[in-house]
Amino acid sequence: MTEEKKPEERKKRRTATEAASKVGPMVKAALKENLKAKEEGRPIAYSFIFSGYDEIIRAMDIVPAWTENYAGVCGVKRDAQRFLEKAESENFSRSLCTYALCGLGFDSWREELGEMPPDPPWGGQARPTVMLGSGQIICDPRYKWYQAVQHYMPDVPVYVGGLPYPPYEDDYDYRDVQDYYVKYIVEELRDLVAFLEKHTDRKMDWDRLAEAVDISDRTWNMISEAYDLRKAVPCPMGTGDAMNTMVPMTFMMGTQEAYDFFKDLYDELKIKIANKEGVIPDEKYRLLWGGGLPSWFALTDFNYFNSKGAVFPAEVTYRLVEPVYELDLPKVSDPLEHLAWRWVKYWSYRHDKARKRPGSNPDVERLIEYIEDYKIDGVVMHEAFSCRSWHPGLIWQLNQLKRVYRDIPSLILESDIVDISSYNEADTKARIDAFIDTLEAVKSQ
Amino acid sequence: MSAENSTGGLATVERYYQGYGSRARELKKQGKQIMGYLCAFTPVEIITAAGFVPFRIKGDVNEPITKADTEMETIVCPLVRSWFDMSLKGKYEFLDGIVIPHACDSISTTYNVWKNTLNLPYSHLINMPHSTDEPSLNFYKALLGTFRTSLSEFTGREISDQSINQAIRLYNQNRAKVRELYELRKTSPPLISGAEVAKLLIVSVSIPVEEANQLIDSVIKEVKQRGAVPAAKPARIMVVGAEVDDVTFIDLIEDSGAWVVADDLCPGAREFFDDVDVTADPIDGIAERYLIKIKCGRTFREKKGDYEDYLEERFGHIGRFIKDFGVDGVVLYIYKYCDPYGFEVPAMKSYIESVGAPVLYLEDEYSMSTIGRLRTRIQAFLELIGSK
Repeated sequence: MTEEKKPEERKKRRTATEAASKVGPMVKAALKENLKAKEEGRPIAYSFIFSGYDEIIRAMDIVPAWTENYAGVCGVKRDAQRFLEKAESENFSRSLCTYALCGLGFDSWREELGEMPPDPPWGGQARPTVMLGSGQIICDPRYKWYQAVQHYMPDVPVYVGGLPYPPYEDDYDYRDVQDYYVKYIVEELRDLVAFLEKHTDRKMDWDRLAEAVDISDRTWNMISEAYDLRKAVPCPMGTGDAMNTMVPMTFMMGTQEAYDFFKDLYDELKIKIANKEGVIPDEKYRLLWGGGLPSWFALTDFNYFNSKGAVFPAEVTYRLVEPVYELDLPKVSDPLEHLAWRWVKYWSYRHDKARKRPGSNPDVERLIEYIEDYKIDGVVMHEAFSCRSWHPGLIWQLNQLKRVYRDIPSLILESDIVDISSYNEADTKARIDAFIDTLEAVKSQ
Repeated sequence: MSAENSTGGLATVERYYQGYGSRARELKKQGKQIMGYLCAFTPVEIITAAGFVPFRIKGDVNEPITKADTEMETIVCPLVRSWFDMSLKGKYEFLDGIVIPHACDSISTTYNVWKNTLNLPYSHLINMPHSTDEPSLNFYKALLGTFRTSLSEFTGREISDQSINQAIRLYNQNRAKVRELYELRKTSPPLISGAEVAKLLIVSVSIPVEEANQLIDSVIKEVKQRGAVPAAKPARIMVVGAEVDDVTFIDLIEDSGAWVVADDLCPGAREFFDDVDVTADPIDGIAERYLIKIKCGRTFREKKGDYEDYLEERFGHIGRFIKDFGVDGVVLYIYKYCDPYGFEVPAMKSYIESVGAPVLYLEDEYSMSTIGRLRTRIQAFLELIGSK
């Protein structure tokens, strides 16, 4: 049996891009860096991805500790259950965000022991200097999680700044409100800088911030250009790999390292395309990962799709950038204002497009765009039971896609991001098999 | 037709509760426009000033959720799913529109589903912030301005400051009457049961505020005339949670040998105890009330001072209720999948215990299927209180 498993593992490595294969060690190194920073007394900030403050943290030399990432690592290593159970023993419901529960379990346990919980995955997560939440239109845990952690670490200050974006509405255009959204976000980011200066020994270096913003703009463009290459047939990189390359996109934004990573990825994909080297040799079905965070403990499901001749040239999840040159950003000298405009314009990017198709909306429009641009045969989504940020609305999006565009085979998988007890491998594979049968039937019509 | 009729206030409450929406349906037939809304964070003053009857969408514990699952994920808060299910089943067919505040993920991330599935003539999401600092307050005022303009354009009528001020006066009267109603719960035994109060408050957000005010007056008068509730019960309970718009759970506690004498719920004290201040620009007072004054898990408050001060800032009103209403025990009644309240439980529980009240934490699914389990837990809790 053991001998039989080894080729499967090798096959998985072979299908990954070289860029994606570098990510595991990068995450490990980042966690090690956090522990080192703790030893050296450098300020550490518990942080959320996609919260508009990446460049600020970098410019102030504050070490980010991406708590969602650490929960994901625990999930990948299938070692999250003991932290989830610890959180449950503290009276946190198991129905809450399992990133947060894993973190709360870990933190409360570490505080109880006065040291890391036993055998923590990849060395554990260092105690922070500050915790940076975010008040957005989605994701309650972004303002609740760290507040709840404070029950165990009352001495660690929490900042929650507002970071809204205009919803897509029929009764007004986002341009009617964008100015006051931007004004508010700039004020909140400025408050964040003041908070960090107050609670750490660091001062903002505004020139450095401008540089970090410039790098992240260029990184947004480079990511967009690299991911666009996945339109090629055969597809040179799938969503399985994108769940790795999301790491430099979300945890390293504003650094030269992130830009270089995606430049390398771009170059690698160019070569693969020139060599007609796809994720799998015989590409039969091209699928869109149309929404939902992945089950970090079951990323090999992507390989199972591959084994059935299916590839994922595109995904909605963790494609958190658009080409900056297409966002119609006003020229401003204040880097915080630039960040605010980029945020608002990113979220409004498909509003105009949606208005042209009755019944559509920006999320549906994005699905349609990817289906057409990436020559998609079917849509797969994942409903993670513990996350109400990204998952409510997916069923409606699929239904609406079929109402305003066309019928297309679709599959919604059900499990979780971290809690492996919600996952049934046999059932998942059976559903994938049935979906592949449907794709085949549609193709042969 | 007035809300108060010859059958008396409590009978009217019962009738409106059993036929939830019946009054709005009648008003619709008379030519009134009815604006549906979710949650206590919808500024009903502006809706009223625009000439609509605000109508709170309600769920039903007794109605299995069936139709909603075709458009909305089962991982959404069960209360929101029930609201949506009832709406899809045509229970609120009289609505002219829907207003949804950014209260929590389950409400705001399903906005598109509500908007595009019900296909009402009007819909609007109020993207209210989570923080309470000055920039957040100013941003919220700007959002309310957009909402006011939007409603005005929909109706084709200006919404004047005067009409908003008039609505504020009516709602402040409404809140004062509810506070007066709660005074009737302070006696031992209370003059009015928890279920009676809950029903009254639930129906009061489904009828015009003027009628709600008459109805509350009528109930207060009736209750005072009938004297004390006859049965003496050993325990006085406070219920804390998000929105409880069905009396099944309150009934369960009172049928188990306790009075529910206080709450931190919607519709309940959380929703009715804070007034809108009279301000030069009426939007300022409205914004202050909804963003700053209402103490709900969905609003983040920055920690100032030490941690005990912080707990006092967040939960001190619960402590005051415990003292003022002679509460013997507190039930934390939290829905599964409720992130704003689910994350509060350890801190809230430790605060309540620190002021000397025992706590029972129950997670529920807004369904009759859990009643047996809840009854057992409540009975055990009441026994524990009784033994102290």
